[in-house]
Amino acid sequence: MKIKKYLGILLSTVLVTTSLVGCGPKKTGEGEKKLEVDKTKVLRVWSFTDELKEPLKYFEEKYGIKTELTIVPTADYASKLQPVLDSGVNAPDVFTAEIAWVKQWVDMPYWENLSDAPYNANEWEKDYVPYVWNIGKDNNGKVKALSWQATPGGFIYKRWIAREVWGNDDPAFVAQKLSNMDNFMKAAEELKQKGYKIVPDEGAIRWFAKGSEPKPWVNEKNELQLTQAQIDFMDYQKQLRDKEYSAMAPEWSPAWFASMGGPIPFNAGWDKVEEAKSSKKVEVFGYVMPTWGLHYVIKPNAKETAGDWGLTSGPSPYFWGGTWVGVYSGSKNKGAAWEFVKMMTHDQEFLNWWYKKTGDLLSYKPVTDKVKDTAKDDFLKGQNHYEFFLKEAEKITPEIVTKYDQGIDQIWGSLVSEYVDGKKTKDQVINEFYKQVKNAYPEIKTPLDK
Amino acid sequence: MNSRNKYGYLFISPFFIVFSIFGIYPILLSLYMSFTDYKGIGSPFNANWVGLQQYARLIKDTYFLQAFINTWKIWGVNIVLQLALALILAVIFSDVRLKLKGVSLYRAIFYLPNLMTVSSVALLFLFILDWQHGALNGLLLKAGFISRPINWLGQPQTAQLSVSLIQTWLWFGHTFIIIFAGIEGISKDYFEAAMIDGANRTQTFFKVTLPLLKPIMIYVVITSLIGGLQLFEIPFLMSQNGLGGPEGSLVTMVLYLFNQAFKYRNFGYAAAVAYGLFFIILIFSIVVFKGMFKEEA
Repeated sequence: MKIKKYLGILLSTVLVTTSLVGCGPKKTGEGEKKLEVDKTKVLRVWSFTDELKEPLKYFEEKYGIKTELTIVPTADYASKLQPVLDSGVNAPDVFTAEIAWVKQWVDMPYWENLSDAPYNANEWEKDYVPYVWNIGKDNNGKVKALSWQATPGGFIYKRWIAREVWGNDDPAFVAQKLSNMDNFMKAAEELKQKGYKIVPDEGAIRWFAKGSEPKPWVNEKNELQLTQAQIDFMDYQKQLRDKEYSAMAPEWSPAWFASMGGPIPFNAGWDKVEEAKSSKKVEVFGYVMPTWGLHYVIKPNAKETAGDWGLTSGPSPYFWGGTWVGVYSGSKNKGAAWEFVKMMTHDQEFLNWWYKKTGDLLSYKPVTDKVKDTAKDDFLKGQNHYEFFLKEAEKITPEIVTKYDQGIDQIWGSLVSEYVDGKKTKDQVINEFYKQVKNAYPEIKTPLDK
Repeated sequence: MNSRNKYGYLFISPFFIVFSIFGIYPILLSLYMSFTDYKGIGSPFNANWVGLQQYARLIKDTYFLQAFINTWKIWGVNIVLQLALALILAVIFSDVRLKLKGVSLYRAIFYLPNLMTVSSVALLFLFILDWQHGALNGLLLKAGFISRPINWLGQPQTAQLSVSLIQTWLWFGHTFIIIFAGIEGISKDYFEAAMIDGANRTQTFFKVTLPLLKPIMIYVVITSLIGGLQLFEIPFLMSQNGLGGPEGSLVTMVLYLFNQAFKYRNFGYAAAVAYGLFFIILIFSIVVFKGMFKEEA
């Protein structure tokens, strides 16, 4: 009797505990060497935004091939797509990846190798912004994914505040004011004296940390590299908090968006702006944002002050985001898939049309070379944003992106905010960082191994 | 053996075929995976065999230990509240002296939370517990119990307590039905005899109801233990990015397993965690089982 009871417990526990694991990917078939474009098949595309809707319409008209776009929200994209790619059942022919996943996926057998025949995309390298091209390459230097855009960042600021505080709103002058972190802090103090906050929140300057000492989180020997710059930036972030240089409006909070349009209550946190308790109103000077941040975040939230904004460089160049696209290695419709990827990234006619439609910063130089001299943005008082961003893009060190970035950035970011909040000391943060990275990625060597 | 027996095997074979494919095979594959450094790429059979390395790591893993402690804290508070609540309600509704009406209606109402999908429950409580605009803080502030809003999900202790309370709310109805049925199953003669002998309600409860309910209670505790130690959905859905809430206080053992497998793609280690979890649950089930039956022997 007793044995039966235990057996019952044993079996039921085995059943439930192990049902979570046991799913593994299947191998995808070897791709055939010859490409044929089958116009009767529907081209299936997966992405995480509706960005590709218009290009797909263009593609349908140009090639006479029907397409089907599946949009999965960013938060679920990887977890929905990966099983489909692993099994090959109902898989897309073309799929995109954002910066968070692209480096992981180029090293998996998901995307077709575009370097070799019949694609031979490696011949195009010199035509692209280097860092963008580099991110699409796998461990062995083979191109797996391409991108039509580059997403470098800058410091986007309110010109009238610069005029009031310094009597000069010229981007070159402001760039000088922010040329390194010491100057940045001086500028922050000067702004504070006049009642302004240099940034909305402390995290805003995280992008400069990587650019100040451009090393990847993990080097080629698989060693974790915590740079001195990252450690120094912990203190810069704490200074912003302690000296009240930031408005304490967290990125993506309602107060953060509202701060682009005008003064907000200080330390609003995640409160709705009108409900925030603080009576002290402050105004934010500028934002550390990339190309898409200018067009899709700041512009719609600062309609009344359009024309009086400026764009300049901060203490170091950086990029934020980006979308890459490639051909699924298990696709049965690779011909059409490749035609679409080619159109998106290498078709002058299409890219010209796309630029005129969206103003997107392209990564394909034959097109950008033609438009960069004449571009101007009225929101930025007619400043040539295109040339500025292209120059910033060229400055980015191509090799600093690793497949671990998303995971490690997350671990580091949450630990640094515990330091800024005063919950942990610097040594505790660093020690805990090594431990957590090791736990997540045992193959990475940390200083704790020695 | 006559031919009828052969047909018998044929008729029961669908279950065994399905069970082998979807039960036995994944279980054995996970066991195999736990001896490899499989990273979720290609076939697990091509991964490196690392012997007991993953298990050696598991034993020394302080994060797993923390997850173990978190899980016990959350489940411990939950099971005490859940049992107490269900027991009190079951005793009240089955009291021969009170003879309450509408028992079946209440039973249905108590059970309702259990019918909701867990994700809706998580969303509901994210709204209720929101520290700035949530209903709970609103009520407490208005009633004057607190002077400042409490950031329920922002601090380790309150976050764990919140999950315990949600679990209790989800499951007390289920436990109530089982205990109620258990009490109904006790012969009315005992209660009447106790009444005639002059026992009051407390005496009746501790001397008659509780001892006779023991087998039912053991069943409830063990099933809840098996479920509770595998707690996953609520902590996953209620913590940002599924990372486990403030200072990792909501990282339960299964959430840890999930992150190791599907976030960091350490499938080999995750499989070892799964087997570790299995043995933990097995051991504690036996301990509870033995402990509760001990007095009888």
